[in-house]
Amino acid sequence: MKNKSIQTVWLILFLALTCLPGIAWSGSEPLTVYSGAGLMKPMDELKAGFEARYKIPVRLIYGGSGELFGMIATRKAGDVFIPGAEKYVKDATKKGMARAEGQRSVCYHVPIILVPAGNPGNVQSLQDLARPGVRVALADAKAAAIGKVANAILKKNSLMEQVSGNVVVRPSTTNQLLIYTATRQVDACIAWEDQATWGEAKGKVQIVRIPAAQNAIKTIPSAVVTYSKQADKAQMFVDYIASPEGKTLWQKWGFPINKPE
Amino acid sequence: MGNRIFKAGLAGITVLFVGMLLWAMLSLIFMPSWAEVVDSTFSAEMLYSIRLSLATSAISVAVVMVLAVSIGYVLARFRFPGHQLLRTVVDLPMAFPELVLGLCLLLLFGHDPLAGWLKRIGIDIVFSKTGIAIAQIFTAAPYATRVVYAAFRSISPRYEMVARSLGCGQWTAFWKVTLPMARGGLFAGAVIAFARCMGCFGTVLILAGGTRMFTETLPITLYLNISYGNLAMAMTSGILLILISLAAIVTFEILNHEVVL
Repeated sequence: MKNKSIQTVWLILFLALTCLPGIAWSGSEPLTVYSGAGLMKPMDELKAGFEARYKIPVRLIYGGSGELFGMIATRKAGDVFIPGAEKYVKDATKKGMARAEGQRSVCYHVPIILVPAGNPGNVQSLQDLARPGVRVALADAKAAAIGKVANAILKKNSLMEQVSGNVVVRPSTTNQLLIYTATRQVDACIAWEDQATWGEAKGKVQIVRIPAAQNAIKTIPSAVVTYSKQADKAQMFVDYIASPEGKTLWQKWGFPINKPE
Repeated sequence: MGNRIFKAGLAGITVLFVGMLLWAMLSLIFMPSWAEVVDSTFSAEMLYSIRLSLATSAISVAVVMVLAVSIGYVLARFRFPGHQLLRTVVDLPMAFPELVLGLCLLLLFGHDPLAGWLKRIGIDIVFSKTGIAIAQIFTAAPYATRVVYAAFRSISPRYEMVARSLGCGQWTAFWKVTLPMARGGLFAGAVIAFARCMGCFGTVLILAGGTRMFTETLPITLYLNISYGNLAMAMTSGILLILISLAAIVTFEILNHEVVL
């Protein structure tokens, strides 16, 4: 009796196992989109909009731009690449990982100084980041697009050396920057403007703008991955996020579509 | 017949899982070329990371053992209201993700009143090397406490009673009788604590910031180099972590014959 019930359990388990792949692998293969972690909010809505309109499922993979670059290079798979800055798409195109044709820049990505609510360090400008005693967070320059951009801005304004002395932490993603600023562990960080728009950050952080002449404003690029097995659908996604419908979603989450003055 | 199928099924599952586990570990070890592993191991970044991991873990294990022996002894020998609650609170960090523990510690050590007090005596925990040790201590202490508690529980309190009837004080009975009898369990606890400290990632990342060549321990090296797309470095730190864990587990198994978990 006991043996019989154990046999039945095995039989059910065996049947379940043989059925599994059939369930999981039926239907069309989703488009795999590698997206910068900082673009999470609009990308989630763009995915929903695209799926509703074209009935093509989309799978989003978020990460630091450098990390995504590495993932595409090692896995030699995926359909769309949308990193936080133009440079990564240029590098990917050079290495034959992204298609040169059909690339779109979808919106602007604006660096700002982010301070905790109430601005405890009284940071009003880039120059204030160099003031002794101000605790500054900058993203890791190799891991995140904003880290590289922050270095470029400081160099452009000849502040690199003075500010370096005030940098207390160099996390590897922009989201970690936001956590440290919102919990008041640092007086300021250089982050993307859209991060301040995010719901989590509301009431916890404030924006200090960097004048356009001192700033390094970037565009968000998107390209089809050369290893894509459904390149035409991938191109439809790229075109969709750069369409007027897509652009309203970018704007909603604080990404300007016109170059800021 | 049924018995044989049952046994064959169990054996099959065991072999399948253990085989895949070994295969996964071996494929990491044999994926990079040896030249790459040697180069990466002796790079300035890796040497820094190994040294920092060993130094912080050594300090953390010492502190953890003091905590584990005290708490383990209290739990094993004294009955008091809230005994069960204390056990639950001590065990709790094992159940939730390290990142959550890191965030809790960031809020505790990064805010007044504690941050202010520590600052006055010159201790900086957030984004510092001290922060690495604090993160490791809080992550590893529950595991070590469990093992040490089990070791104390397995020693009959009668030995202490006899010692005390012969004129020992409570402290002498503990120091001369119980502690030496529990030494196998204490070593096992220390080995587990060491392995947890070396492998501690999420808590260290959030509390100490994970800044390259500053608060960079081995798991952070692995994570940062994945973000950089630098696979050789990432895999080498992975291999080093596997070897360290292997040594720890083997030591633990040898010592573990003396304790019942």
